[in-house]
This record gives sequence, structure tokens and C-alpha cells, in this order.
Amino acid sequence: MSDNIEREAYSAARIKALESLLIEKGIVSSTTVDEVIEFFEKDMGPFNGAKIVAKAWLDPEFKQRLLEDTTSAIAQMNFPRGIAGAEGEHMKAVENTPEVHNLIVCTLCSCYPWPVLGLPPYWFKDPTFRARAVREPRKVLKEFGLNIPESTEVYVWDTSAQTCWFVLPERPAGTDGWTEEQLAAIVTPESMQGAAKVEVPTKIS
Amino acid sequence: MQIKFEQFATASMLGSEDAPPRSNGELLFQNAWEGRAFGIAVALAKKGHYEWEDFRQELIASIAQWEASHCKDDPTWNYYQRWLLALERIAIATALLDEQELETRTSEILKQEKAEKFNSQLC
Repeated sequence: MSDNIEREAYSAARIKALESLLIEKGIVSSTTVDEVIEFFEKDMGPFNGAKIVAKAWLDPEFKQRLLEDTTSAIAQMNFPRGIAGAEGEHMKAVENTPEVHNLIVCTLCSCYPWPVLGLPPYWFKDPTFRARAVREPRKVLKEFGLNIPESTEVYVWDTSAQTCWFVLPERPAGTDGWTEEQLAAIVTPESMQGAAKVEVPTKIS
Repeated sequence: MQIKFEQFATASMLGSEDAPPRSNGELLFQNAWEGRAFGIAVALAKKGHYEWEDFRQELIASIAQWEASHCKDDPTWNYYQRWLLALERIAIATALLDEQELETRTSEILKQEKAEKFNSQLC
């Protein structure tokens, strides 16, 4: 435990040293770094993906375009542009159906469709998850509380610099007549990773 | 022992009350330095000091290096420590920084923090 505290303190000092040197050399300003972090906190996040999913549930034409040419479908949503060359330039949506359940993983590092899902949760980056998701996806999903019936095929998509995958989850029953906004509110990041299904909250005020 | 993502699955994903604080539905950074490391890496790519893909390759290498010498469920795993290492390496490789000056500055900061901690204990 004290080793851990020491490592944390060292890492904090190391990044402080790195940043202060880059600032002194005029390579980067602390404002630029603040802006990047703020952008990820405010503009890039799973709320974007949720809007895409809700729209696809309501608009069959949009859904078809999303599955065929994800990048152009997303372009029409007027989201903030991705950050120069960072993840998310080549995104591809895959649809969950009663026949197929999709799960995304990045086996090599932590590629993730930032513009639609924001930054990945820490379990996505965990070495054990990254290895096991490919080897025994059903078992991993079961640990997430998701029992996939034997009759449903499980596809695991390895996200990379070439393609960042995300999942178009199934629309849950009991949401007939809901607006796009109401639907977007129940779409979770986990459902767009294929680690959960979209549930209708039991209590609706 | 539960592995990290299983803990996440049981504690946080199932919506328990003691789930960690989240931003945009996701836990962003556990410690402030992780956010700085993230922001600097992206900012440098944005300014064209290197291609994002080159950073990604450094990250893959630093993660692979850890995995080659640790069990996958080793609790000392820290993603942003791998990220930081990748950032240091690419900054040195692209001549933005010199390894020696980084070492020197780091020890100065650690020394200063130690002194500050000592002083605050005196008060």
C-alpha cells in the first residue's frame, strides 16, 4: 500500500516536471492542456452516443446509414469535431439483435470511440478484461450481470487505430411512443460497449 | 480476490450506492496527475509534435512491457502509469525533452514536496 502511495507521488511529480519543462520551452501552455481536459469532460462523452442510438431507434433510414457508413451518419449530428487524429476518426457501429450480441474491446491498449463514448472506464483498460473478453466473452458478460442465451451469437470486436467500434443496443420493450430525448436518457455507456443491455428504469417520475 | 473490472462490474455497473463519482457517466480520472498526463499527450499530438498513431504505439509497447513481467491481475496495474511512460518516451524520442532534465526536475519537485510536507508538520 505504501509502495502504491509512493508510486502515485512519483507519477504526480514526474508529470509535473514534464509539464513544467514543456511550458518553459514554449511547446505547450497549461491553458491548452486545460482545454483538452475540459473538452473531454464537457463535449465528448457517452451523451453523444446516446443521442445517436435514440435517433437510430426512431429513424430507420438514419439507422441504416449509421450501420453502413457510421462516420457520415455521425457527421450529420453536428457533434464537436474529434481532436486532430485522436481516436474516433474511423468509427463503426454494430447492431445488437436477438440473434447477435456484440462486445467491444481493445486487446492491445485502450482504443475507444472517444467522440461518441468519451473516455473508457477503467475496466475497459484492465489487462484481465482485455485478455478474457476475447477468450471467454460469455463468461465475462455473465460477470457483468448479462446472461446471453446459447441461441444468441456473441461477436467480439477488437477496436484499433483503424476502426473504433461501438454497439447499437436493442431498444427495450415498454418504450413505445417515447421521444428521442426520453430514449437517449436511458442509453448507458455500458450498453454501447456491449457490456449491458438498455433497461427501462423501474421508477419513472 | 476479485479483479478490478469485476469489482467495477459488481459495485459500479450494477448501480450500487457507493459507486465512484462520475463525469459524463464515466469515472474520468482518479487522480489529478492522470488528467494532466492525458491532456498533455493529446495536446502535443494536436499541435503536431507527433502523430497520434505514434503515441498509440508507445502506449501499446509500454502496456505490453508491463504485461510481460506481471500477472494480468497484479493489483499494482495502473493504466495511467503506462500512459505516462509512453508520454515520456515519445517526448524524448521527438526531442521535446531531454531525459536528464526530466530526471533532474522530477527529483527537485519531490525534494521540494518533501520539504513542504516537513514544514507543514512543524506548524
